[in-house]
Amino acid sequence: MRQSTLFSLLTCVVLIPATLFLGTRLHGRWYYLTCTLVIIEVMIPFFLAFETRKPQARELVTIAVMCALSVASRVVVLIPNFKPMTAIIMITGIALGPEAGFLTGAVGAFASNFFFSQGPWTPWQMMGYGFGGFLAGLVFYRKNRRRSPVVLAIFGFLTIQLVVGPLLDCCTFFTTGSKLSWKYAAAVFGAGVPYNFKHALACALTMLLFSKPLLGKLDRLITKYGMMNTRLEA
Amino acid sequence: MRLSAFSGPRKGIFSFMRQDAFSKCHPLTNFVFFVGAIGFSVVFQHPLYLAASCAAGAVYLVLLNGKKSWKLIAGLVPVFFLLSALNPLFNSYGERVLFHVFGKPYTLEALFYGMAIAGIFVAMMLWFNCYSAVLTSDKFVCLFGSLIPALSLLLVMVLRMIPNLMRKARQISDARKSIGKGAGETDNFREKVADGMNILSSLTDWALEGSIVTADSMRARGYGGAKRTSFQIYRMTARDYLLLGFSILLAFIVMFAGGTEATYTPVLYIAPPGWGLAAYCLYLLIPSLLHGKEALQWRISISRI
Repeated sequence: MRQSTLFSLLTCVVLIPATLFLGTRLHGRWYYLTCTLVIIEVMIPFFLAFETRKPQARELVTIAVMCALSVASRVVVLIPNFKPMTAIIMITGIALGPEAGFLTGAVGAFASNFFFSQGPWTPWQMMGYGFGGFLAGLVFYRKNRRRSPVVLAIFGFLTIQLVVGPLLDCCTFFTTGSKLSWKYAAAVFGAGVPYNFKHALACALTMLLFSKPLLGKLDRLITKYGMMNTRLEA
Repeated sequence: MRLSAFSGPRKGIFSFMRQDAFSKCHPLTNFVFFVGAIGFSVVFQHPLYLAASCAAGAVYLVLLNGKKSWKLIAGLVPVFFLLSALNPLFNSYGERVLFHVFGKPYTLEALFYGMAIAGIFVAMMLWFNCYSAVLTSDKFVCLFGSLIPALSLLLVMVLRMIPNLMRKARQISDARKSIGKGAGETDNFREKVADGMNILSSLTDWALEGSIVTADSMRARGYGGAKRTSFQIYRMTARDYLLLGFSILLAFIVMFAGGTEATYTPVLYIAPPGWGLAAYCLYLLIPSLLHGKEALQWRISISRI
């Protein structure tokens, strides 16, 4: 644990500022590379924490199942563009903790791109979905009183519309813009609003209908098989 | 079927089964090449460099994916023009004004700049598609398996479970239909969502119960007891070292030969290309040339029989 904390600290204090510094000194299109690198570096502490903790088999497999489930959920509902993926990632974060939520989102996004195509959007998707799961865990993990479907639905809607969606739009902004201008940012993020709205609506609907059964299943798994006992601090 | 995109990872998931010579090389060689190709494509905005990157990317993609790739390439053409035309609306620097839009000048320089940005985007899309076809999940795990063992185990498990869950989801959906409960194409939004959630619920139960069995089995077989061994199918051969060295050498020539500078706004300046461009072309054509050489050898060996 101590080693991973040290590495995480190094990443935050040395690596990211160094990347930003180098990126601002170079002219031309280096800003795209700089931003992508920073996004990847931000994820390093999360991955390191998981790696150095040497996860138990049950924890590992449960996270893997939730990842696969979030990806597979894309085809379960017959409506095109109805993606319950983010909702499932958030529920994982709520039930298993913020760190598990982040991993489910990040690995889920990465794995699903093996079936479609990896692209410049991969790190942004990993960060966006991972952060969604992390945030949900931060707010609702071990707080049973707050977990009413309506509250979760509102939380999911707002998180996607305001945080996850814009994070995904950042990729469009950085890959297609020629100047980092406020006007272009407004145009890109404005164009993303209706798309994010659909995404957020799907998430809210899934939360409303599915959060209670899924949370129940995960809670039952934890109590029945005594999972996650080893790390109460989370 | 709607599940067809998920019926399995793309056709060449086992990259050693592909008929492409570069895909059969060691993952490290592939990875280093793609880091260079994609990195250079993103950073250089010199028109000739961009044209070279787009052309080489398109050629290699066609060699890799055949007919399927034409659709993508055809789809990128309108994207190129759209992005080029949009850019001057947000960037009005430049001297030669073509016309005015909403009272703002639409300049030639900004249009050229837009074309460069669009070119970068197209090149990136092409090379990322090549990357996806060559650097399959098994190669990724081979590269990073020892660096991040827990995460790559997680990734492998997820990749295996996704098609599994798809299959199970289809079974559940079929079973529900056979007792008259599933939703069809004609049902309304509410019924479709409710049906989807029901399938998801059953699927979750099945998957989570299965996960406990898998985890117990892993424990019984000594997971976490010692360093995990892994099945390695790739080995660095002399050819891999040669290709790796060659591409790194070319990359250094490209970086230090110069002639890559190009600024569009406010003043158009494009550096005269030099040896760097030749090295860049050669670098980008490595996989295609290798593919061509192998195909030619194969033809000759067949004709001799």
